[in-house]
Amino acid sequence: MGLEEKLPEGIITTQLETLVNWSRENSTWPLLFGLACCAIEMIATGSARHDISRYGSELFRASPRQADLMIVSGRVSNKMAPVIKRLYDQMSEPKWVIAMGICASAGGPFNNYAIIQGVDKIIPVDVYVPGCPPRPEALLYALDKLREKQAKDSFRTYANLNAPPAPTVPDDIESLAALRQPQLA
Amino acid sequence: MLNVSPRVREYETLPGLKPLGIPAVAPLPTGESEDTNRLVERFGDAILAAGLHHGQQVVYVKPEQLIALAEFAKSDPALRYEAIVDVSAVDRSELPISDARFHTVYQLRSYARKQHLMVVCPLDDRGEPEAPSLASVYQGAIWPEREVWDLMGVRFAGHPDHRRILMPEHWPNHPLQKQVPVGGEEVPFTLTWSDPEFESFGKQIMAAESKPPVLPPGMNIENMIINMGPHHPSTHGVLRLVVELDGETVVNVDPDLGYLHSGFEKTGENKRYKDFVYYTDRMDYLSAMSNNLGYCIAVEKLLGVEIPQRAQVLRVIMAELQRLASHLFWLSTHVLDVSGTGMSLLMYATRERERILDLFEMACGARLTVGYMRVGGVSRDIPPAFAGHLEDFLKAMAIRIDEYEAMLTSGPLWEERLQGIGVLTRDEVINMGLTGPMLRGSGVDWDLRRDAPYSGYENYDFKVPVFTEGDCYARYLVRMEEMRQSLRIIRQAMDNLPDGPFRVEDRKITPPPRAELDISMEALIHHFKLMTEGFHVPPGMLYHGIESSKGELGFFIYSDGSARPYRLHVRGPSFNNLYAISKMSKGAMLSDIVTNIGSIDIVLGEVDR
Repeated sequence: MGLEEKLPEGIITTQLETLVNWSRENSTWPLLFGLACCAIEMIATGSARHDISRYGSELFRASPRQADLMIVSGRVSNKMAPVIKRLYDQMSEPKWVIAMGICASAGGPFNNYAIIQGVDKIIPVDVYVPGCPPRPEALLYALDKLREKQAKDSFRTYANLNAPPAPTVPDDIESLAALRQPQLA
Repeated sequence: MLNVSPRVREYETLPGLKPLGIPAVAPLPTGESEDTNRLVERFGDAILAAGLHHGQQVVYVKPEQLIALAEFAKSDPALRYEAIVDVSAVDRSELPISDARFHTVYQLRSYARKQHLMVVCPLDDRGEPEAPSLASVYQGAIWPEREVWDLMGVRFAGHPDHRRILMPEHWPNHPLQKQVPVGGEEVPFTLTWSDPEFESFGKQIMAAESKPPVLPPGMNIENMIINMGPHHPSTHGVLRLVVELDGETVVNVDPDLGYLHSGFEKTGENKRYKDFVYYTDRMDYLSAMSNNLGYCIAVEKLLGVEIPQRAQVLRVIMAELQRLASHLFWLSTHVLDVSGTGMSLLMYATRERERILDLFEMACGARLTVGYMRVGGVSRDIPPAFAGHLEDFLKAMAIRIDEYEAMLTSGPLWEERLQGIGVLTRDEVINMGLTGPMLRGSGVDWDLRRDAPYSGYENYDFKVPVFTEGDCYARYLVRMEEMRQSLRIIRQAMDNLPDGPFRVEDRKITPPPRAELDISMEALIHHFKLMTEGFHVPPGMLYHGIESSKGELGFFIYSDGSARPYRLHVRGPSFNNLYAISKMSKGAMLSDIVTNIGSIDIVLGEVDR
């Protein structure tokens, strides 16, 4: 039925979006970037026993320009925050962020002057991993969750990225009333 | 900058400190020793108090005579305190005492005589707190004094490089001063999402601030200045180095720290003694067990409790396993940085490290941040299967170390990259206050496990490897031999593991067993008191150092008798060792900086604390 019947053997059809997402989710390259204790577990994830390359993510790139995924592995200090923000900005679209461990997710045990209470205050986060530090299995599970998210990605998301923000509706009644006035000019 | 009411007090009231009129919270020395007598004899009235406190020699000296005292202690043949190990300060404004607000505390060490001396200098309360800088006597005081200025706000007159070291340059306060709040954010305890407490959740509040780079002093703009880190694969974390280059030759290196500053000391002052154990895991996260050990021993010494034999041996086993794990990680990353083909060794070494982590998991359930040791012993006994697994590991590991050495030791590439690189002489390492393999690689025969034994290390037969070349290769050989010696210690400990309790039976310090809670009201009360209030530590002041895998890990605790440490200072070996990076790298090639960082073996969690 359909096109498949007419095609020679070995050729399949799919949607372009699915194809692109399929390749993205199987080669998500993380940024080679460690902060604290969680970085050690991230390295453990990359080494032989846990073997992150089963997920196609073994290629830790030192340059943010070549990385798709930022694993924020550890506590983010006030001094480090601008650096992380800049690194994130330098990564090219599409990009994802995993907040690894409770410190990156919400500050963890370090509720003090030095530590930002969650990296989501400076960059958007896709997957949060609990744990202090999370075990390598937990990080792999987070990658799995990220793959689920990537599989649902639509081109529209990226098409609209640079569009101006939607106009906000004023919440006080007077300005709402002003909006309803017929435009004269 | 100091937002406190002026406390005008005559400094001269202090000599009354000696016998009378001082509330119990002042940790005063009693008794005497040869060294303190010699100092009193030489300096007379400038010594406010001298003697022994918790078995350590303590001298209180007036700031005018501090430099003279340090010079005398260093050069006098009967004293020979040739190194400074640590500098810290105490803000005493919340103590019910009315003498000097700031005390600076110096730890001096004599390697030749195996002696330790604590020098306390009460600062003048009039005006901004200022102490004379010991940088002219001991080079090793330069960075610790910068840290004290940064975190405590004590100026050091005559300091050659008086800048902040950990906090950002524009930071408004000195966080360790008592009037500065801990900071942080309120934790919402609500279940209603419409609650305003949730408003800040998930909001992006910061834009990347772009500031023109500040050129560190002493750098020449005529040369090329490059920036290494804080995001750089071979800086072992978030270390930033500003490097001045002439061609590819390094002219100057200026490390910029603090990208992982987490406020451990301030947090520690707001936690109960028993709760801070878990924070120590996260300081040097590559040797969590050693950090636990150092902290617990310091608190136990203040408490004056004796630890059961079995607990001591278990602690030694875990600390040595941790040393192995830490050295394995050092080796793998060092090889990865230095030689391009090192990925295989990273895989091999992490394979063995995983087996150590498995053993930790058997003992306490966690891999990395273990929290296994508690004040008063260890959290639980090892399971029966532990011994067999450990035996298998020890057998395998002895062969593995030989394999690693076969891959590296006489390899031409490895020798080329390490031999003659980062050379430090014996005098330099002592003067800079370096510890651990940095000392032993430069011919100083010093290991705290042997020379100031703790946790029963005097009962084990092990060698302390010492090499005299002082280059990266010598430090590599030291660490490889240390791994073999650790295996020996673990085997001896397992063979002589005594039966008995794994923690003290004192219900004021350790909780009762779970089964007891169901049948004994008294046990329930003890449990409740311990969990809600913690235990009180008698007033006093203590510095205790242990030999961690990186060097001397010291904890300085100043107790006011409450359940929280009044002042908690950590002497991180990586911090003091990293000072040597400028000296080691000057005149070398740019790529040698990477070798040197690996050879110092830093962990940024401990450098920045």
